Amino acid sequence: MKKLVGGFLVGVIFTMVLALFMMPSLMFKEHVSPFGFEETVARIQHNIQKNPNGWSLSGLRDPGKAVQNDGGNVLPVMMIEACSTKYSAPILKTDDRRYLSILMPCKVSVYKKNDGKVYIGTMNAGLMGKMFGPLVGEIMGHVAADQKTFLEFDPNTPAPQIILPKAPSGGGAGGGAGGGC
Amino acid sequence: MLVKRLQYLALMLGIVLAVPVVQASSDPAAEMKPAAAVPAPAKEIRSTADHGKFKELQKDFKSGPEVTQACLTCHTEAAKQIMKTKHWTWEFLNPESKQRLGKKNVINNFCTAVPSNYEFCTACHVGYGWKDSSFDFNKQENVDCLVCHDTTKTYRKLPGMAGHPPYQDTEFPPKSGKIVPAVNLKDVAQNIGKTSRATCGACHFNGGGGDAVKHGDLDSSLKDPKKYLDVHMAKDGLNFTCGTCHETDGHNIPGSRYTPIAKPKDANPHIRGKNDSDPVTCQSCHGNKPHPQALSRLNSHTDKLACQTCHIPEYARGGKPTKTLWDWSTAGKLDKDGKPFKTKDSGGHDAYDSRKGDFKYEANVIPEYIWFNGKVNYTLRETKLDPNQVIKVNSFEGSADDGKSKIWPVKVFHGKQPYDIGNNQLVVFHTYGKDDSALWSNFNWDKAIDYGMKEIGAEYSGKYAFVSTEMSWPITHMVAPKKDALACAQCHAPQTGVGRLDKVPGIYMPGRRANEWLNTAGWGLALLTLLGVLGHGGLRIYLARKGDQK
Amino acid sequence: MSEKIYVFKVFERFWHWSQAGLIITLLLTGFEVHGSYSLFGFEDAVNTHTLAAWTLVGLWVFAIFWHFTTGEWKQYIPTLVKVDAMFKYYLTGIFTHAPHPFKATRLKKHNPLQRLAYLGVMLFIGPLIWFTGWFYIFYDKWTEWGWDQYLSLEWVAFFHTVAAFLMLIFLIAHVYLTTAGHTVTSHIKAMITGWEEVE
Repeated sequence: MKKLVGGFLVGVIFTMVLALFMMPSLMFKEHVSPFGFEETVARIQHNIQKNPNGWSLSGLRDPGKAVQNDGGNVLPVMMIEACSTKYSAPILKTDDRRYLSILMPCKVSVYKKNDGKVYIGTMNAGLMGKMFGPLVGEIMGHVAADQKTFLEFDPNTPAPQIILPKAPSGGGAGGGAGGGC
Repeated sequence: MLVKRLQYLALMLGIVLAVPVVQASSDPAAEMKPAAAVPAPAKEIRSTADHGKFKELQKDFKSGPEVTQACLTCHTEAAKQIMKTKHWTWEFLNPESKQRLGKKNVINNFCTAVPSNYEFCTACHVGYGWKDSSFDFNKQENVDCLVCHDTTKTYRKLPGMAGHPPYQDTEFPPKSGKIVPAVNLKDVAQNIGKTSRATCGACHFNGGGGDAVKHGDLDSSLKDPKKYLDVHMAKDGLNFTCGTCHETDGHNIPGSRYTPIAKPKDANPHIRGKNDSDPVTCQSCHGNKPHPQALSRLNSHTDKLACQTCHIPEYARGGKPTKTLWDWSTAGKLDKDGKPFKTKDSGGHDAYDSRKGDFKYEANVIPEYIWFNGKVNYTLRETKLDPNQVIKVNSFEGSADDGKSKIWPVKVFHGKQPYDIGNNQLVVFHTYGKDDSALWSNFNWDKAIDYGMKEIGAEYSGKYAFVSTEMSWPITHMVAPKKDALACAQCHAPQTGVGRLDKVPGIYMPGRRANEWLNTAGWGLALLTLLGVLGHGGLRIYLARKGDQK
Repeated sequence: MSEKIYVFKVFERFWHWSQAGLIITLLLTGFEVHGSYSLFGFEDAVNTHTLAAWTLVGLWVFAIFWHFTTGEWKQYIPTLVKVDAMFKYYLTGIFTHAPHPFKATRLKKHNPLQRLAYLGVMLFIGPLIWFTGWFYIFYDKWTEWGWDQYLSLEWVAFFHTVAAFLMLIFLIAHVYLTTAGHTVTSHIKAMITGWEEVE
């Protein structure tokens, strides 16, 4: 009996430790971009606009600007924010799910690392959604599928222009391009 | 929503209205300048002379040389001093390699060469009127004092005017609809002063044909840099000008790309300029043991690493991307209507220009690192080249064990440019001119090269092709705050990671490139030992149990 | 029943355990500096390694002094007497509960294999690790002292690492053999309390 309980506890601890280490890689995904920094941002933005499910750009943040203003340096980072009312509305209408607005808008992050390569970071929307019940799970499933299309690049098309927010405002508000949200 | 928008609008309006008020109250001089009729209140002049009171400068100058003549009435030796410098001669004889360098002679892989394009290029000459090879280098009034000593920020020389500023309102770039106003020479002359980041930057920030193009560590973001970009030049910090480090003596400005100082003598911090052959190095102020002692091993790196290697972690950090590639071979494509055209990249920078070819830009660039001992060898026009290889327009000498080298960060600029297939030599070609041979007028390489080579009196086989070239630029400006210097692990990366110095040969660095054989043997034996004791212990436990059961 | 004798004096136990802690720290940080893994971060690993190394140097200086003033150094005089018996015990006897061939006394604390192993550690691994370590620490002074023509960091690091691997192997075997006393825990108890259980 002792052995059984002991074994069980060891198993639980092992799984917890494993989950702790695996968590970041389960919740977030990272890809290497085949393009330069600005081109990656621009292509993702245009992919978001091309998607038929009501997506619109709601901001482009440069968190590095705030660091620069404080006299520091960081390698380039840009956060592309996108939103679709098709997905946000149902969640926002449900009182006991409204707190999930903190997950909005949907973000894709583009950043350079010390190896000189450009990376794309996304949240694992599908998995996260499953943690919040069937309604959210289904919606986030759609978001995850759409998010995938944001990162499908056609290298044969010429590099598009970055879409700057209409009222650029440094590291702050990210601008008011946001239709939809 | 509407209310929000209105609030926002009101806020913006408030800011717009408030800004001029703030400026005006903090800087009375700026407010007074346009109103010349009102007697100017006493400007704060730190110098002992107010040039506005000199009667030599109380006249309506018609041209730059007229101003210079006025300057020379008091500054009798100034022009003679200038005439000895590279800023004037555009020529430099490397005393060691005997290579004849300088802008007049070198072919680079940006705009390539000056000859046959003088009128355009000499917008950055400290002189007036260098429009062809007949320019008189001994005429003192041809020296341009204003371009370096202007404080009004209104003096601007335009390409195509052979080093003169516009004396009439001029449309520039041609057909752009933008008007550059005629310079007010009297105002500029009366307000001359010390050089500034802006005056040096007028040329040095725009090398290679545009802002940030050439150097990567010099661009217009350094006019008023914030602290993150450059700790020394930051306006809210030390506010260094270029001259603070490039401490000038008799108009001779120290610091050279042709003969850089790669490994300054071991020196303690001292007052620069006193018996100092290299006031422009970091060491001349900081010495060779600049880090706090304690446990830190940073000082033990200073014999192998240039300060710049750690303290300039990336270049082009001011928001201006630098050019990393220029491919001349694609120049000359025309659109459906037979007109030259441009395309832009994602960031809005030229990706293609019919006159110039393909470009690539990058911001926040991680430098490449090389051993460098201060010797630079150029592929000159005369140099025979092997077109099957990437031609190094300049190559930096150095090695891990010559005792004279340090590891330096460099920008490596890639290009493709024409060469003479008959003679295997780089060519000079005619890019700018009002004649019909200029590449930018009629996109004909044959004519442009033929004209350029005749201009310098060089032999040309008549056949050209394009060769890949590479040029290196030492990175030494845009020094980051110390907390942003490279951390240990950025070079001493574990074998799985990427280290900044991974490609630098000839050094053993703890944390990477460990001896594979040793690792295999060491871990193997340790593992065997572990297995041995585990086996031994296991057997003991097993046999003990069996014994108990009996 | 078993009797107990007092084998390890306070200083010896203090020396042993602080040395053990330092060596484990040095191994952990050292192999990180070597590039085998990331644990503390390179900078902290280097600083901790350097600090621990100097502490160990201090400890050894003190220990050497102690060994010579107390005459305890004689404990490490090598002997081949009963070495074969020890081998035989570890290879067969230990499995069959045969009596341990060595009986610790105050004058002979270590069995003949221990004597050989510890002497090896002190005369071979120790000097190798110390000298290469000092060359390593004073790397930036090589040029000043004119050593740079004779030394290469790569080889200094190589031998330092060789010694580190040997120390690691010793550590593994040593930790295991602590369980191979008269009882599984008798050696360990001795090093903690000073009193060893003997039959």
